[in-house]
Amino acid sequence: MPRETLKIVGFLCNWCSYAGADMAGMARMRQPDSLRIIRVPCSGRVDPLLVLKAFQEGADGVLVSGCHPGDCHYGNGNYFARRRLELLKRMLPVLGIDPGRFHYTWVSASEGARWARLVEEFTGQVERVQEAQPNLKIQSRIP
Amino acid sequence: MNEFVQTIKQTFKEVDLVLGWVRSPAAGVAVPACFHTPAQADDAVFDSTCMHNLVVHLPRLAGKKVGIVAKGCDARSIAQLVAEHAVDRSRVIVIGVHCPGMIDVKKAWRCFGFGKRISDAGGRVAMEGKTVAREEVLLQKCRGCRDWEPVICDVTAGGATKAATAPPAEPAGIRKRFAAMSPAERRQFWQDQFSRCIRCYACREACPLCFCRDQCAMQARDPGWATAAIDASQSWMAQLIRISHMAGRCSGCEECERACPVGIPLMLLLEEQNAVIEELFGYRAGAGPEVKPPLLTFNIKDDAWGES
Amino acid sequence: MIGVFICQCGTNISATVDTGKVAQAAAAMRGVADAESIQYACSDPGQAAIAAAIRHKRLDRVVIGACSPRMHEATFRRALDRAGLNPFMLEMVNIREHCSWIHSDVDQATEKAAGLVRKGIARVRHHLPLSAGKTAAVRRALVVGGGIAGIQAALDIAAAGIPVTLVEKSPTIGGNMARLDKTFPTLDCSSCILTPLMVEVKQHENIELMVNSEVDDVHGHVGNFEVDIRRKATCVDEKKCSGCMICQEKCPAKAPDDFNAGMGQSKAISVASPQAVPLVASLRKEHCRRFSGGKCRVCQKLCPAGAVDYGQQDEVVRQSFGAVVAATGYGFYDWTGAYPTYGMGLYPDVITSLQYERLLSASGPTGGHIRRPSDGAEPRQVVFISCIGSRDESVGRPQCCSVGCMYIAKQAILTKEHIPDSQSYIFYIDMRAGGKNYEEFARRAQTRYGTLYIRGRVGKIFPRWGKLVVMGTDTLVGDQVEIEADLVVLATGLTASDGAGGLARKFNISCDENGFMAEGHPKLKPVEAEAAGVFLAGACQGPKDIPATVAQAGAAAAKVIGLLSRGELETSPMVAAVSQSKCSGCFKCRDVCPFGAIEDERPAAGRTAARVLASLCRGCGICSAACPPGVISLSGYTDKQLLAEVVAALR
Repeated sequence: MPRETLKIVGFLCNWCSYAGADMAGMARMRQPDSLRIIRVPCSGRVDPLLVLKAFQEGADGVLVSGCHPGDCHYGNGNYFARRRLELLKRMLPVLGIDPGRFHYTWVSASEGARWARLVEEFTGQVERVQEAQPNLKIQSRIP
Repeated sequence: MNEFVQTIKQTFKEVDLVLGWVRSPAAGVAVPACFHTPAQADDAVFDSTCMHNLVVHLPRLAGKKVGIVAKGCDARSIAQLVAEHAVDRSRVIVIGVHCPGMIDVKKAWRCFGFGKRISDAGGRVAMEGKTVAREEVLLQKCRGCRDWEPVICDVTAGGATKAATAPPAEPAGIRKRFAAMSPAERRQFWQDQFSRCIRCYACREACPLCFCRDQCAMQARDPGWATAAIDASQSWMAQLIRISHMAGRCSGCEECERACPVGIPLMLLLEEQNAVIEELFGYRAGAGPEVKPPLLTFNIKDDAWGES
Repeated sequence: MIGVFICQCGTNISATVDTGKVAQAAAAMRGVADAESIQYACSDPGQAAIAAAIRHKRLDRVVIGACSPRMHEATFRRALDRAGLNPFMLEMVNIREHCSWIHSDVDQATEKAAGLVRKGIARVRHHLPLSAGKTAAVRRALVVGGGIAGIQAALDIAAAGIPVTLVEKSPTIGGNMARLDKTFPTLDCSSCILTPLMVEVKQHENIELMVNSEVDDVHGHVGNFEVDIRRKATCVDEKKCSGCMICQEKCPAKAPDDFNAGMGQSKAISVASPQAVPLVASLRKEHCRRFSGGKCRVCQKLCPAGAVDYGQQDEVVRQSFGAVVAATGYGFYDWTGAYPTYGMGLYPDVITSLQYERLLSASGPTGGHIRRPSDGAEPRQVVFISCIGSRDESVGRPQCCSVGCMYIAKQAILTKEHIPDSQSYIFYIDMRAGGKNYEEFARRAQTRYGTLYIRGRVGKIFPRWGKLVVMGTDTLVGDQVEIEADLVVLATGLTASDGAGGLARKFNISCDENGFMAEGHPKLKPVEAEAAGVFLAGACQGPKDIPATVAQAGAAAAKVIGLLSRGELETSPMVAAVSQSKCSGCFKCRDVCPFGAIEDERPAAGRTAARVLASLCRGCGICSAACPPGVISLSGYTDKQLLAEVVAALR
């Protein structure tokens, strides 16, 4: 499957990762165009259900990125996020969703280059998963 | 009058009502009952068909002072509710009973025919003259039970002595098939299972921890996590809302699965989730009324499992 | 009635995104009454066009596809406000940083931009008008760090009539600048220009000076930071001590001399330097005989003021501040572990530039006479090596220390002035002399003072017959060089100071990969930290020289004055709120709230429900993700808005 048709959703915290993605843009770092970024105030705002909702709606991959542990703008939102998202990650195989389609990580406001690399790598990873197991979308009706 | 009934009657000095079991005259198995007077409690029984988790009624009786007969596993649900401020500890008298391991009545009836009297003695379950080993007809959760001693208890009302617990069951039937499935097969499996969901919300109504009731996100139109359509995709989302909200809260009582009229194996998901939570956080729901559930706290050293 | 405005941003967006096409696609969406492409949406004509459309087409929601909302969200909110629309009915879609600047294919970028705009339109439908509240701001500022940056910031803030608490962890203010001998490029005496400012801090009626103190814990937020300041026990009553130094003279316990960068000897009880402000002794327990089990009480017996108190305990003071200036300065790179071929610190005559600075200083351990540490001899051949722990990927420190080239030139000049028949050599990588009069100064070091500049790195230093042999490469000549030096000075790079990271965490300041505190925006917010109400001054934000530090400190002070002059602050309306009739009172929100912003309330008999204290809520939304039925929602980031965005993103 060509990467242009991949659909990847990213939940980025406003203070670190969104700013990091901005930084990558300011440095004109080329990235795959399959990512749609949704801005949230904090990775702690990301209800794991939003990730599942994205998969239900047919996302090929979901990325969540917050401030590095210890650097959360709100003190400890990313620590809560880490617990919730790790649990989610480990539940995905039970649901039959390849855990390679989901990634959570930490990118700071100054890590533009790291962000660009991350998007490239994650897109590649989703691409590989997609080749192995296409058609993720939960079908409405059983044919 | 036996000691068990006596204990319940004494509880009435402190409570408005007591939740327990009586024997159903028709089927001869225990059914839940609510005793409002000591006299009503004369009929109270405790045997190996008292499989129901009565704790589901506790949050709904918030205005009353309630006594409740609780097996070890039921006590975990109470502890979890107390930890979540859904039950006021001072308004509940927990009558702890030691559980011999409960018989899956449905399973037994499937073996021997509906409504047949069940006798349970000496490690064998007998019905209609046929006997089977207890392990054969035990509830799934009773295999490898770790909760013989109730975690939260005000008075003890006897029950079974601590016998050797039946060992955890080897995955059989649907569990065995599920364990062997590839990711694609699992995805298809859940899609098939949830396509049968009729959105009756019996799973939620039977769950002692689902105390949000009418506000439940799996049903609410606003904000619209899932529509109410009988549709595999929408039911998938709706059911996962409940599973996700049970994280770190489900004590594994199996009531949701037992209540499901179309037989969706919800416990497959909940068991896996509970196992992950125990592995990640060393936590089992209902660890104690004062213990913080794992998703409501954090540890800065959590990264032992590493960034994903 | 949604209005959609797609900014061309000159060619920044329009070069890769066909903004006309994006507007066209948006116009076809449900509820969109107007969609247009604008050359510069943020310019006056651009904003006027948006305002006109709002009025004429009766728009009640606006989507602007332009740069990052972190850049211009505030600008456009004000524009909406001026046009009579609630400023929070705006949704910004980032089609520049997240689209046009990172893609090159016009068709793909245009399609993506249209998708992003679609997502924004889906979201804006669920926007609700919000209004900002006001809270009182504490009219007092905290300055952390008493170097030149902190001193300047404190003086500037105090001059505006705002009280300041200046917290310094060491026994004296003055910081690194107080340890310098002369300053480049004017060679004026460092302490001559600094000491008057230090004294002014001490005497200023609006400045409370707390030395030997550190920030212990921080609560609260802009307008009201509650800060626990720990005043460390020094066993000397600051109010009684007159700084006579009799204790220091008589103290029998030797201790390293921190002020002189370890070049001299000090005592367990001592005054940091003769110019210290406040001029007060302090006792270092780890070196004191009494505290290591002995019976010595010499200082207490001899103190004429009776200021010595061995039982003194740390004292934690809680104060409230409206704003904070971090001015924690810098430290020097510890080279001993990273450059094994330079002797790992085993050769006494291989010293750092700060140590050399103390040898040059008239108030230093040698009284301003250059004496090498090994035998006290006056060096004739001095070798300076630049970029130790800076611009060196091999030790993981790529950044330029920005002052090394200049201070070596200065030290070479001063060497010649102290010892006229000496010869200085400087191994350098590149000459960086960007400041005003810097190039001329560095040139003078070569022409008038005969300093020999050798472009290249030093491979090895080893002792031979009482000298140090410095082996390096002259990359301009392409040959090996070997110099027999009496003294080698390493120009160590600047690092973030010890403890800066800990302080940054307490105030939610993020740090860059080198450990320096990160500014809000590299161009437009050079003194603001990410955290509201926290400002950065001086080298804590990155290596810089004294003029730049003073300038930044003044800028930070101006920001603090601006913030606190009005007495009240607008609070963000993007806070959480509970729909109490639906709340089951489980208080998972309270468990996870980092700010204690949730309290319980009894809306009806027998029911408890959560309530958000809007003044404490900072809008993180952790509660919102923890609430199973979703009855606590964060304005601006409601489940509805995020769900709409997720669904639209995948259509």
